[in-house]
Amino acid sequence: MSNTATITIRPEFEADGIGKAKTDDVARKLTLFERILEMHGVRKLTILVLLIVAWEVYTRWSEVSAYILPTFSATAAALYEAIIQEQLLWMVWNSLTVLVAGYVIGLIIATILTTAATTTRFGNDILSTLTAMLNPLPAIALLPLALLWFGLGVDAIIFTLLHSVIWPVALNAHVGFMSVSETQRMVGRNYGLRGLVYVAKLLVPAAFPQILMGLKIGWAYAWRTLIAAELVFGGSISDTSGGGGGLGWFVFSSQMDLRIAHVFAGLFMVILVGVVVESVVFNAIENRTVRRWGMQAR
Amino acid sequence: MNAQQKNQKSSLPELVIRPEFEVSSLEQAQTGDVARKLSVVERIWNIDAVRKATILIGLAAVWQAYTVGFNVEPLMMPTFWSSFTRLYNDLFFGDLPARIWFSVQVLIIGYSIGMAIAAALTLWGQAARFGSDLISMAAAMFNPLPAIALLPLAMLWFGLGTASLVFVLIHAVLWPVALSTHSGFEGVSQTLRMIGRNYGLHGIGYVLKILVPAALPSILAGMKIGWAFAWRTLIGAELVFGASSGSGGLGWYIFENSQNLETDGVFAGLFMVILIGFVVENVLFRNVEKRTVNRWGMQR
Repeated sequence: MSNTATITIRPEFEADGIGKAKTDDVARKLTLFERILEMHGVRKLTILVLLIVAWEVYTRWSEVSAYILPTFSATAAALYEAIIQEQLLWMVWNSLTVLVAGYVIGLIIATILTTAATTTRFGNDILSTLTAMLNPLPAIALLPLALLWFGLGVDAIIFTLLHSVIWPVALNAHVGFMSVSETQRMVGRNYGLRGLVYVAKLLVPAAFPQILMGLKIGWAYAWRTLIAAELVFGGSISDTSGGGGGLGWFVFSSQMDLRIAHVFAGLFMVILVGVVVESVVFNAIENRTVRRWGMQAR
Repeated sequence: MNAQQKNQKSSLPELVIRPEFEVSSLEQAQTGDVARKLSVVERIWNIDAVRKATILIGLAAVWQAYTVGFNVEPLMMPTFWSSFTRLYNDLFFGDLPARIWFSVQVLIIGYSIGMAIAAALTLWGQAARFGSDLISMAAAMFNPLPAIALLPLAMLWFGLGTASLVFVLIHAVLWPVALSTHSGFEGVSQTLRMIGRNYGLHGIGYVLKILVPAALPSILAGMKIGWAFAWRTLIGAELVFGASSGSGGLGWYIFENSQNLETDGVFAGLFMVILIGFVVENVLFRNVEKRTVNRWGMQR
């Protein structure tokens, strides 16, 4: 009985003197400045400009040695000069052709592995064992072996790229295929699909978000591996293939020559390529497939 | 319109009415024992681990048979057995444990500092719109930049040593973790947020008790990617410049062996790299997932 709270009845009262509550114009129009600040692009651009200005001001005022941190303007000049005089774009092209070759071959092998894994239990076991074992193995660790097997050259780099692409792609595609709902599978079989057509028309679209994720991770690994491989062995490779080396080699050789502004210019280029592939290429693919099909939000 | 309807009609298949019939000898249809007991061999074969172990042993056997049978130059491809004994010897009687410890130590330092910075950044991103803009901007810019490309600069700034390795590792961990944590926080549903506020949570308590658990699947995904990048970066960095940082780690062990043309040592190092990676990915992270997101029913 003592547990129940006693009910207090408060006296009624009427508040006088409130008068008219003052509310401002709730639906006030935003000023032009505020409206500009609302735009995503503007805010991001402002941040970018701020960062650049901070960099420039810091390097000029603190008089940091140009060997430690060059000014932004020196970096921009170096980038311009490297593109005009040192064929930086050609180096980017060199890197990209190797990357694409490795990526495409890797995709083909991953496709074969995954198809085998979805059709037979033995294939499934092989794939899951291999991916569990080889996915955590950094591809770059295979480079010494690849150099031994294939000699100094593009072949060795492509071999390591293959390794960096196959496992994440195969793993994600396989997981995606496994989680395609039984209903969709039965619909496919009702339509009389089987074999390759069944995979291409039913499993691939249904598991596309996962596959795309695998492709993105594969690209990220491959890009990192390529830059690392070129950083390490780019010199010897560019000597034998005579192609002038790739982007990683540009960064490394500039650092060796203590042209730090050129190192930064090379890094800019690396960022640029990465941003273009990630937010332009993959975004376009996503917009045309999984987002259009309503499988992924945003 | 009419023509279209006609077209559709003519394209329909004709109805076929099959004659009725009765099967007289239905009893003779023999179905075997449907619920037959599996034999011992079949039951053993149905255990996943057994099949996988068989595959592993099979691979090792193929490797051994190939190298012995074709008399392959051990410089190019040592036998499985010699690589394995090399691993055994270095692991129990050599300096391999010290190398592993060196690598793991650097990795843990870099990973935890990277995580701490990522946490601070995302908290700022939650508190202020400017922080949020800065994160998404910086992450979009620096995430595609391979951490290893910063190594030349890091060596210039921090000298040859652990400090530059740690710097590069921080870069490898920070951006994927910050990016996925930030997008995970953004994706926490308004309902959950309002429940948190109803309970009077704000500040750190709100983040720890509402945002982090709700966004844990994407935080974990970011941590896994961050680990993968860090591990790859560390091995790559040690392969390149490990020698300069004093004792050197696992990557340097591989590089040293390949320079000395001791290919069995290279394979021993690779075995170790695989083992560590396997343990972290399939034991450590798997268990964390099991105890959190899987148990909470957020992820299958």
